[in-house]
Amino acid sequence: MNDIKEKISALYDGELDHNEIDDLLKIIDKDPNLQEQLSLYGLAGLAVHQDENNIVSIDSGNRENKSILSNLWFSNGLTAAASILLTLFIINNVDISRMNISEDSTNKIASAINSKEAKDIAERSEEYLIDHILNVINDPNYMNTQEAIDLRNVGFRHNVAGGYKYSNGNENFQLRVEKKNLGLKKIRYWKHGKKMIYVVPLSDGRVVTLYGNISASSARNIAESLTK
Amino acid sequence: MKKNSNDSDSLLVEKAKEGNEGAFNFLMNKYYPRVYASLFSFTKSKEDSEDLAQQTFVKVWQQIQSFRGDSAFFTWVYRIAINLAKNYVASSGYKKQRVNSSIDQLEIDISSNENIESMLIHSQSLDDIKDFINTMPEALKTAFTLRESEGKSYEEISIITETPIGTVRSRIFRARESIVDFMKKELISNE
Repeated sequence: MNDIKEKISALYDGELDHNEIDDLLKIIDKDPNLQEQLSLYGLAGLAVHQDENNIVSIDSGNRENKSILSNLWFSNGLTAAASILLTLFIINNVDISRMNISEDSTNKIASAINSKEAKDIAERSEEYLIDHILNVINDPNYMNTQEAIDLRNVGFRHNVAGGYKYSNGNENFQLRVEKKNLGLKKIRYWKHGKKMIYVVPLSDGRVVTLYGNISASSARNIAESLTK
Repeated sequence: MKKNSNDSDSLLVEKAKEGNEGAFNFLMNKYYPRVYASLFSFTKSKEDSEDLAQQTFVKVWQQIQSFRGDSAFFTWVYRIAINLAKNYVASSGYKKQRVNSSIDQLEIDISSNENIESMLIHSQSLDDIKDFINTMPEALKTAFTLRESEGKSYEEISIITETPIGTVRSRIFRARESIVDFMKKELISNE
């Protein structure tokens, strides 16, 4: 039985020999215990991602995490409502009660989510950005598909040993440049576990995404350096 | 052949596209916890999350031919769940829509996930699992987290940890088994 389970684990990771897959799938199909085992593997993986999956949308005008929801998300009308939708839709297993948020704020969130403007926004915008952010957080290779960029002029080196990551010793991040504009007119950023995601529109129409342990000021400097 | 997380599902997806229900069921069981947890965080309702998760996978099955592989499979699944969540928001008097009429093409059995649901409702359970992972032997924890957190392939983990690929596979399996044993003994039994 352990041999079967080890094969399930390998197939879960996409690492099972191709000629073994069909037989294994037939065995799993007949055994509810193995199906549950597979889902428990998924749950084990979810536990590892738990912190990273607690995504908090942060307005670029304020960095006071303590009152993100009550002060920022309702501070600028349509954008705030859209941020709420985006954030709630992409949060995995977030527990609002653990985020030091008052019941009043929670009720405001519910109200904003159900507002007509929020629904309209959800329908017509943010779609591409949602896709983009989902790829950043779910696909470890999404940020590693482009050629390295020379960032030594702003103090960051490309760390080949760690993949396409950049580092100045204290800050580490991945970077991706989109040739198309994502409809952004200002910097958007999210807290993703201990990492930050910055999506920065450049003056030449491109958009740069930085993902990692990096400050907003460094992200801004790096973005500006890309257009010089 | 080097694999990464983006193509780790590709073979199963191709088989599912060809109508292989076993391959689809594998993908569904693999991603059910993540989809369910996401929906539960949104709906705060076990019943609605069940319905939405079931609807998500019915749609995945129905639309899998349109998945082109431009993004990770789970990202695509997630988008479907998001759209269903939007509909959930849009319908003020959300009425449960059992999907009996939609599942005649494929028998989806989510009964095996009942324990998963019970555990996911209690976020403390995930904290307990994470605490347990931190107590595992370093070799198992390293292999497991490199795979789950970093999305490294077995080959990459083999290079990083300077161990044979077979050992990497074994360590990841043993790590998962330890975690599953912990969940069954410490969490499910306490329900």
